[in-house]
Amino acid sequence: GPLAPHSRAFGTSAGCGSTFNVQDGSDFQDRVVNNPKPVVVDFHAQWCGPCKILGPRLEKVVAKQEGKVLMAKVDIDDHTDLAIEYEVSAVPTVLAMKNGDVVDKFVGIKDEDQLEAFLKKLIGA
Amino acid sequence: DYDLIIIGGGSGGLACSKEAAALGKKVMVLDYVVPTPLGTSWGLGGTCVNVGCIPKKLMHQAALLGQALQDSRKYGWQYEEQVKHNWGIMVEAIQNYIGSLNWGYRVSLREKSVTYLNSYGEFIEPHKIKATNRKGQVTYHTAETFVLATGERPRYLGIPGDKEYCITSDDLFSLPYCPGKTLVVGASYVALECAGFLAGLGLDVTVMVRSILLRGFDQEMAERIGAHMETHGVKFIRKFVPVQVEQLEEGMPGRLKVTAKSTEGPEIFEEEYNTVLIAIGRDACTRSIGLDTIGVKINEKNGKVPVNDEEQTNVPYVYAIGDILDGKLELTPVAIQAGKLLARRLYGGSSTKCDYINVPTTVFTPLEYGSCGLAEETAIEEYGKQNLEVYHSLFWPLEWTVPSRDNNTCYAKIICSKQDNNRVIGFHVLGPNAGEVTQGFAAAIKCGLTKELLDETIGIHPTCGEVFTTMDITKSSGQDITQRGC
Repeated sequence: GPLAPHSRAFGTSAGCGSTFNVQDGSDFQDRVVNNPKPVVVDFHAQWCGPCKILGPRLEKVVAKQEGKVLMAKVDIDDHTDLAIEYEVSAVPTVLAMKNGDVVDKFVGIKDEDQLEAFLKKLIGA
Repeated sequence: DYDLIIIGGGSGGLACSKEAAALGKKVMVLDYVVPTPLGTSWGLGGTCVNVGCIPKKLMHQAALLGQALQDSRKYGWQYEEQVKHNWGIMVEAIQNYIGSLNWGYRVSLREKSVTYLNSYGEFIEPHKIKATNRKGQVTYHTAETFVLATGERPRYLGIPGDKEYCITSDDLFSLPYCPGKTLVVGASYVALECAGFLAGLGLDVTVMVRSILLRGFDQEMAERIGAHMETHGVKFIRKFVPVQVEQLEEGMPGRLKVTAKSTEGPEIFEEEYNTVLIAIGRDACTRSIGLDTIGVKINEKNGKVPVNDEEQTNVPYVYAIGDILDGKLELTPVAIQAGKLLARRLYGGSSTKCDYINVPTTVFTPLEYGSCGLAEETAIEEYGKQNLEVYHSLFWPLEWTVPSRDNNTCYAKIICSKQDNNRVIGFHVLGPNAGEVTQGFAAAIKCGLTKELLDETIGIHPTCGEVFTTMDITKSSGQDITQRGC
């Protein structure tokens, strides 16, 4: 079925457990910063048109990586402190995080091939 | 703790904070929106961005596009579908844009290292405020200097049912359902602009006016604006005030019954509406921020803050800018300018004061009205009728000729001071793109524009603005200005 573009509900989308919505600062610490696996963080906003395109597209490409990388979604209006901490100015902003460090980043929309390359680089393949 | 604390994150507050921070000061901005009686709230940026100029102009544009669609058929565009308007799509698009502006302000404050608190600020002792956030958590902060920039909120009627069932401009721009058949109470520019675009979107709109339209504006222009709205389907009920609003049925929208009384006799008026929009004026947010605790005087009648020509209140370390100033214009660019110049005077060694003379404005009613300088009646009062020469003209925008729209409706008027070289002291234009037309002339007026200079200026053809370069007929001559043919 169709992916919810920026679902705010608990649980996961069709990414079969590889995508989740960040609940708060300590959730971010636990599931992103302290995650042994690499995580891409999708900073998005309700009012942002391009975010609604990038979100599902990124989820789809993440799902194809067979669990080697996870995706965290952060609504910048709900979690402004987090967005400010990571210096998000425009949305969508996607950070690639490994062992708690930001190792890569992009702002704006990318196509599936570009996202594939971005994720492969993060996984270290 | 801080060099400067600003209470209010609107047009004035934000401009002042960024300028002060750029000059190296430690600045804090507090912004907090007390929800409306119906629970509406919004983000950082103040009235203009959230519930004022920005959404207003976008909805005005939506209405103008509706008119353009009608005109388009005369220009040869052919389409089968009946055109209708979807309120929800428009509101979502506008609110998305506003969301991006709110975020943009947060980012720019952060970039300029201004501390931002989404908290309600109030003075508890000299140089000290208490800040309360949405969750009720309290913090305290001190500063050498304070700026009040708390703005205003819509006034209610004070009649049964007003807060429970009526909306104001604070609610209109994010209303999650189409307002339907609407009664607009008031004759302010807010009332007329809202009534104007709601009617332009196809809604059944009535305006209930207690006395005159657009108090404070040139009354000849105000009446022309009203007449145009009436010609285009807006109903006016003059010299009545609502006394009661009852709910007949809940809903989105529901059904309301309004009872109104004549201001001149015993006549009663009753009618059913889906929505009642109250736009009778705005009150300054100065009554519960602890000003009495530190001795800042306000005008008890209207809550506004009197200041000297450097925006200083009676308490030397407290300044004020924006809509809350007593006797000053309630406009975003004025607040921004005042805020910036204040910061420069406080911290940048500047002595430039804000110039409140000849500030141009535009009312975005269906027929837009731009003006700069004095209203005719004010000019007559200040200079004496015999010392003035008023030139005027009707004009027909070229774009309206093909669709045969509103001939002899657009109007231009300039008021000149005879004793001062026929200096232009009042500029008024009623027509499309009035804001764009007026902006340039405002700069010319600042340079001391005279009738001779206007006559020497060659017009751009074909435009509406060029009418000002060829005005020959004076009011005093009594000549007819009706346009005939081409």
